Amino acid sequence: MRYTKLRKENFHEFLRVLERYGKVYAPHRISEKFYDFREMRDPNDVVTEYPRTVMPPKKFFFEPLSELFKVGLRDFSYSTPEEDIQPFVIFGVHAYDIKGLMILDSVYMEPGLEEKQYAVRRQKALIVGISDMPDQYNFSNVRNADWVDEGFDLFLHPIEEGWLIRVGSPTGHKIIDDNSQLFHGTTLKDIDDFKEHEKRRQLSFPMCMSLSDVRYVLEVNWNNPIWEEEAKRCLGCGNCTMTCPTCRCYEVWDEPDVELSSASRFRRWDSCQFHDHGLVAGGENFREHKVDRFRHRYNCKNSYVKALHCDFCVGCGRCTAFCPAGISYMGIITHLMEAKVHED
Amino acid sequence: MKTDNYTDLYKLNKAHVVRVFDLTDKEKLFVFRFDDKDLASTWTYKPGQFVQIAVPGVGESTISITSSATRKGFFELCIRKVGRVTSVIHKLRPGDVVGIRGPYGNGFPMEAMEGKDLLLIASGLGMAPLRGVFLYALDNRWLYGRIALINTARYSSELLFREELDAMLDMTTAENLLIMQTVTREPEYPGLKGRATEYIDQTGVDPKNCAVIVCGPPRMYMDVFRKVLQLGFSPDHLYMTLERRMKCGVGKCGHCVAGTATNMVYMCKDGPVFTYYDIMSTPGLI
Ligand SMILES: Cc1cc2nc3c(=O)[nH]c(=O)nc-3n(C[C@H](O)[C@H](O)[C@H](O)COP(=O)(O)OP(=O)(O)OC[C@H]3O[C@@H](n4cnc5c(N)ncnc54)[C@H](O)[C@@H]3O)c2cc1C
Ligand code: SF4
Ligand code: SF4
Ligand code: FES
Repeated sequence: MRYTKLRKENFHEFLRVLERYGKVYAPHRISEKFYDFREMRDPNDVVTEYPRTVMPPKKFFFEPLSELFKVGLRDFSYSTPEEDIQPFVIFGVHAYDIKGLMILDSVYMEPGLEEKQYAVRRQKALIVGISDMPDQYNFSNVRNADWVDEGFDLFLHPIEEGWLIRVGSPTGHKIIDDNSQLFHGTTLKDIDDFKEHEKRRQLSFPMCMSLSDVRYVLEVNWNNPIWEEEAKRCLGCGNCTMTCPTCRCYEVWDEPDVELSSASRFRRWDSCQFHDHGLVAGGENFREHKVDRFRHRYNCKNSYVKALHCDFCVGCGRCTAFCPAGISYMGIITHLMEAKVHED
Repeated sequence: MKTDNYTDLYKLNKAHVVRVFDLTDKEKLFVFRFDDKDLASTWTYKPGQFVQIAVPGVGESTISITSSATRKGFFELCIRKVGRVTSVIHKLRPGDVVGIRGPYGNGFPMEAMEGKDLLLIASGLGMAPLRGVFLYALDNRWLYGRIALINTARYSSELLFREELDAMLDMTTAENLLIMQTVTREPEYPGLKGRATEYIDQTGVDPKNCAVIVCGPPRMYMDVFRKVLQLGFSPDHLYMTLERRMKCGVGKCGHCVAGTATNMVYMCKDGPVFTYYDIMSTPGLI
């Protein structure tokens, strides 16, 4: 891997340079407690230290609401929306979110079944990662999502003089080469800074355990009373799935235009926590009760991504941090790991 | 950067209704042909696969293909009127157009069943996918041993394809076939009465060398499997189809996901055909 250095004094200039590669979206503080990716207007507003954004970067590729196609009702002509997606840059993405995008890729860009809307956006995006300092909800380390070797163009790690940058793609190399005035060779001291920082970061993760067998833990605890107890507290609001970097369910519907000359098919994000997610004709529902839906999310998130040999959950902690009922995802999982299935 | 090298997953292909047959009070059989002649002549599918059929402006439904691709140029769907989309489809007349995507799903492994007897058990709407299997096997008659079909419903008026199957009775001897149609809730019915499981031992198939395919309400599956295993059938060739809500058919929308953390499946992509072993290893599948 190629390493280079960006000095503190060059940081704002670097953000400006990124704008040459497309519109830049970066973490901004949007309220007292919350951060989110927003279009960058002033590099001074860009935040480099934040626990997590409310919305993961999936929204740039799999949009919350979109039109899939339009059909002429008279001639049955089929067309997809004219899209002119310009290259864009997402700056400041944490490792777990990069891993989340790779997991979404395994679904939305599955070989032979690529979804065009998603794939086109993915091709146009430049990803600049940034090292995060975990807070109490972050368990990306136990998900093996606290570090990525791919899935980014550049990745920034804080060092005393500014930033050590890992270069992860040909576009990343070009950015460095085309703007060489901004970058400097790394010294041994920079490398030590970087290692030191990573060591400190590793020690800050609140959890240290193995989740290798979590799939079995969930399966054998299918009837554990905790599901009912916690599902009772759950409001079914869907915050946990909407903010999850790898949740990707969508609902579709058709809508004729006002002149009834054409009809569009739209899609929007859906949540398995909603009652109608599994509802079929005749009122039958494959996940009728809240507990069925509640438990399903845990099973789905902990199931296996075959293409990447990892779990769907990357441990970002959003589902816990943004749950209005204060339900702790890892709290439930650790409880189940300890639980006895057999009652004496 | 290349961006247009992806095919459109959701593209609707225009097809028109060729004929419509009333099967029962609730089910109609539709014969469709693609308007595009290349598509009409080359489109193919496996027994057990399904399509997404769209009425633009109304919506889309998941429907099993009930014909067999051994006959080209058209395909058939047997559609029960239950809700918004299917009600509009039921009003379609010859010449009307719909949008079709597919075929989707894994389908039945018909090659793996070659050389075996076939026992097909359908209940209610389950006859729709099974008819595709049956017609495929008849069109490839030399590939399979004895073929037995048990079609069941609650009332005789609900037996799908009843007349079509009755009309085949004259060839059962020559073709080594057995066709049984039985009803469960109509005591005055002159034909066979009772559940399919009561007739399995009279079908004349060889339990040692027979593939069993069951399509119907999921609650009947374990009963049938228990019965055939008890009669000495091999568990290696027991198949069934399952249903879930489906919105995309291509493993994206997440509506058809089911199972547990050790084995989460997409009904649309990993199914809708599953084996006895699949249901034994995936709690919650049926
Ligand atoms: C693999 C598979 C094969 C099927 N094969 C057939 C068939 O051969 N013949 C047939 O008549 N029906 C079949 N069905 C059921 C059929 O898809 C539904 O009856 C139909 O979608 C109902 O649509 P609706 O808009 O009329 O009903 P509504 O009640 O208005 O449904 C609204 C929406 O819910 C979804 N939905 C409702 N019921 C179902 C269901 N049972 N399965 C999946 N999605 C559903 C659809 O997206 C539908 O558009 C099959 C379903 C699956 C999953
Ligand atoms: S965010 Fe919390 S309350 Fe809302 S659906 Fe998820 S678990 Fe339930
Ligand atoms: S399940 Fe929760 S912790 Fe895991 S990736 Fe989704 S939001 Fe993050
Ligand atoms: S129907 Fe959309 S994922 Fe299976």
